[in-house]
Amino acid sequence: MFHESFMRHAHWRWLKAALALCGVATAIYAWHEPADGANGGTWLGYTLGTVAALIIVLLSWLGVRKRRYASRLGTVKGWVSAHVYLGLSLLVLATLHTGFQFGANLHTLAYALMVLVIASGVYGVVAYARYPRLITDNRAQSTREAWLDEILELNESAIRLADAITPEVHRSVLRSAERLRIGGGWRDQLSSPSQDERAQEMALVGESLRAKLAASSAQSVATEQMVFLATTSLVVTDRDPQLERLKQLLELLTRRNELVDRVNRDVQIHARLQIWLYWHVPLTAALLAALTAHIVSVFLYW
Amino acid sequence: MGDSFRIAIVGSGPSGLSAAARAAELGLSYVLLEAEPHLSNTIFRYQKGKHVMAEPGVLPLRSPLPFEAGRREQILSNWAKGAAALKLQARMASPVTAIAGQKGGFTLTLKSGATLTAEFVVLAIGLQGNIRKLGVPGEDAPFVQYQLDDPDEYQDESIVIVGAGDAGIENALALMDHNRVTILNRDSEFTRAKEANNAAVIKAIGSGQMQCLYKAAIAKAEPAEDGPGGRLTITTDSGEVTVDCRRVIARLGAMPPRKFVESCGVEFPSKDPNSVPAVSPNYESNVSGLYIVGALAGFPLIKQAMNQGFEVIEFIEGRNVEPADTPLLRAKFERVPHWGDIDAALLTIQSRVPVLAPLTPLQLREFLLDSDVRTPAPGEALFRRNDYTDSFYSIVEGTVEVEIDPADPLNIVRLKAGDFFGEMSLISGRRRSATVRAGDDCVLIETPRRSMNKLINSVADVKRVVDEVFIRRAIQTHFVPNIDAAVLAPVVATARIERFRANDVLFRQGDPGDCLHLVRKGSVMITRDVGGRDVVLAYVPAGQYVGEMALMSEGLRTATVRAAVATETIRLEGEPFKELMDREPEIRDQVARTYKDRLTANVHAQHAKQEGGVIGFLLQQGVGEATDVLLIDEGLCVRCDQCEKACADTHGNVSRLDREAGPTFQNLHVPTSCRHCEHPHCMKDCPPDAIRRSASGEVFITDSCIGCGNCERNCPYGVIQMGVMTPEAPSLWRWMLFGQGSEPGRHEPGYNPDAAKKAAKCDMCKDLTGGPACVRACPTGAAIRVSPEDFMRVARTN
Repeated sequence: MFHESFMRHAHWRWLKAALALCGVATAIYAWHEPADGANGGTWLGYTLGTVAALIIVLLSWLGVRKRRYASRLGTVKGWVSAHVYLGLSLLVLATLHTGFQFGANLHTLAYALMVLVIASGVYGVVAYARYPRLITDNRAQSTREAWLDEILELNESAIRLADAITPEVHRSVLRSAERLRIGGGWRDQLSSPSQDERAQEMALVGESLRAKLAASSAQSVATEQMVFLATTSLVVTDRDPQLERLKQLLELLTRRNELVDRVNRDVQIHARLQIWLYWHVPLTAALLAALTAHIVSVFLYW
Repeated sequence: MGDSFRIAIVGSGPSGLSAAARAAELGLSYVLLEAEPHLSNTIFRYQKGKHVMAEPGVLPLRSPLPFEAGRREQILSNWAKGAAALKLQARMASPVTAIAGQKGGFTLTLKSGATLTAEFVVLAIGLQGNIRKLGVPGEDAPFVQYQLDDPDEYQDESIVIVGAGDAGIENALALMDHNRVTILNRDSEFTRAKEANNAAVIKAIGSGQMQCLYKAAIAKAEPAEDGPGGRLTITTDSGEVTVDCRRVIARLGAMPPRKFVESCGVEFPSKDPNSVPAVSPNYESNVSGLYIVGALAGFPLIKQAMNQGFEVIEFIEGRNVEPADTPLLRAKFERVPHWGDIDAALLTIQSRVPVLAPLTPLQLREFLLDSDVRTPAPGEALFRRNDYTDSFYSIVEGTVEVEIDPADPLNIVRLKAGDFFGEMSLISGRRRSATVRAGDDCVLIETPRRSMNKLINSVADVKRVVDEVFIRRAIQTHFVPNIDAAVLAPVVATARIERFRANDVLFRQGDPGDCLHLVRKGSVMITRDVGGRDVVLAYVPAGQYVGEMALMSEGLRTATVRAAVATETIRLEGEPFKELMDREPEIRDQVARTYKDRLTANVHAQHAKQEGGVIGFLLQQGVGEATDVLLIDEGLCVRCDQCEKACADTHGNVSRLDREAGPTFQNLHVPTSCRHCEHPHCMKDCPPDAIRRSASGEVFITDSCIGCGNCERNCPYGVIQMGVMTPEAPSLWRWMLFGQGSEPGRHEPGYNPDAAKKAAKCDMCKDLTGGPACVRACPTGAAIRVSPEDFMRVARTN
């Protein structure tokens, strides 16, 4: 195996470590029978709490380690692997630490924040497994810059072409070119921006072409078929320059729309690949604050 | 008849200027002729503010003019001051078009038609050649320039580019974003440039980013009466047009000086375009009275050239100056006191080492200046098997022991005085094939790759001897190490070296099998036509052989073999080789084993077409000449650019890799990043010899880089950039806690016009323990570095 994912790092070293940790903790928890029931205040509770807190601090340190590029303290991949598996093990360790005592208090808030951090992390693992390939497939050997260049070129050509057709078509093409939307705010990135102008413009061009064709060959064809016929150049009736222009325009716009969709898809996948970090990192900061408060309050009221 | 002088000095670069200064100091009758309207054109044309280095540091300067490392402006102004103080007799803008005659009676013809006579000529014209100018009135007007230093210098200007070659197109493309650019093309289409440049310029014209005038030529350039810029009169098919512009940049190429030099009667030792004329220890060429100094004589560094300018005048005046390098050579020979003084030592070396016998005394001095004299202790390892070093060793005294069998260190071959070794890695660019240890009382000369290659290219006899020995040793290494040279003689006698460009065919499927190829440099791919499609069966790197299958089976070629990159092979003829196999069963067994292995591998590869696709893709990306490639699995890559940030952060804030650029096949991505080629293209033309290969294989740039940009241009993979390395590192905590400053790895120091740009390339983080930062920083395991031995395995797992 040449490329080895962080999940399998060093023959699943951190998975094994996490499982062992959880196994030992669960066994001791099962064996341990404190007088006033399982809770965070027993020797086991304190031990589990300390271990879990240390793990949380260690895992947060990934944000530091991954930016210390000259650091020789393990590889970032190893750190990520540990981050994932030890992070998941917290679900067991911290839950055992609570002794299943939950309530509307600061302590449970810290626990809830931790669960949220872990949940966003789980999304991250899934996203990392799923989206990289989709980006490559969608790219199809090209790059976003190349697409954007081509889109701008196609827009210019389309506007020039439309100018020679009718003012109405020109206006529509111009408007759609001006309002072409790529990416946008996070909501637009995650879904895809709506493209009303594009739809109107395609309808108009298709309509004009249909009218033109109907006039020249007295055929009646649906717009969808028209797109197919025109783009595959099966329809070569006569050399009416207006008809040629419309056909060309339809081809340009179809190509452009395909590229716009591809770029938006690219943006979308990238957004889905990264969105979770916008939860994971701030939640971690909140968790660290809540954890500190939890620890301080426990010692204050001791 | 024009004026007559004792010495005519042609060219006012470092060597010519220094010669003229010395002649002026001595009060001789001389003239300095310069083609351009200013002194020292090559350095004059350096980028503004460029830092000029004074390599080699150990060499003392010997010239009436000052020179030390510093900015271009400072150096030029020091020289101008020196020239003025000595009242140098220089004729500017006087290109010499012909030199005829010999010692005592040279006639020099200038472009203006004027002639002058001289008893001696010093040719110091360098290697740059004369820039082709517009050749119309106004060609030297202030708004006309013949180079572009920094495209960012110009904003919102109307600029006319003349010339449809690579230089013109690249300038136009670089300028068009911030200026109104018009390109003039003499022809009706773009055909002279590289394909990518042609496509880019046609696209830019089509999209209106620049204008183009086809079949256009400038007839006249007139500077504007008020303010900068001027007016061009341009003839086109549809008549004359005038164009006002701020600036004209003409990129019409240069005339290489070789033709001119040959027309003066000077001979070059070989057709190799890198070869330089041979000169005597006194810098005299084969034309008596005509001396050659500086870059044209093979000495591209400024200090060397200035010293030669001084010395050549002394020689002409009949004084025998001790060359400036004598103290350096003396220091080198200190280890072997019994050789006596310099001249005796040089004689000893030349008489004992046949491969150095054909060198002129000057070549030998130069060679030794670059080399080290070594006296290793008996048993000391000079290099070990699998080291990546590539220096060349000549044995002057004593013996060395070559461990030919890695499994058995006692199985050795002894080389004696007069032999040389290390040529295998020098030629193949691959790891050392054996460990070599010093024997008793051994005195060696160790020569770096560049100096040895220079010698091989300029002295035909050296090349012949090295090649002969290479062939014999290659056969011994590949087949039977202990075999007697005499037994191999018939095979060696008919063996010859063949050269192939990338994609050239060594032999085709279906050809008769009449020979065997030992790949000595580059690599080849074996393909077979399967149902009309070429399937890549295998990749064979230097150091292995191909063609044994048809030879063993007495049949036709079962596959086609193509060069993956520029490749050299030793072709062994079939008949003598078969006879050899009949006589030496050991060789037959060895070849039969390879035959069997390859047969099995081919059957496997043909079924796993996927794998062939990956190999084919990797070979197309130039990994056939790579020793280490960064490969990214896009199925794992989360596009976080940690690799780039790590690279920038650990290398002075200049990343040497571009993750996103570069092609992808299936999920395998080859980013724009150094491949550490076997024969690094970047090393080809580095004036201070700043690009080196370490013993573990990394190709890196040392601090002696002078920022000339040759390596950037020579790299076919675009992995070298000129950048300003800065030591500052942003604070992680300040950024993380307070959002101040930039994120580590994303730091972009502001533009500093005074900073010297230097070449930046991947050095595989050789100074960091634990391996390359890009790989260590990858959070998902997507980035790995792979060496050629592992390509096949990558192909199988991806």
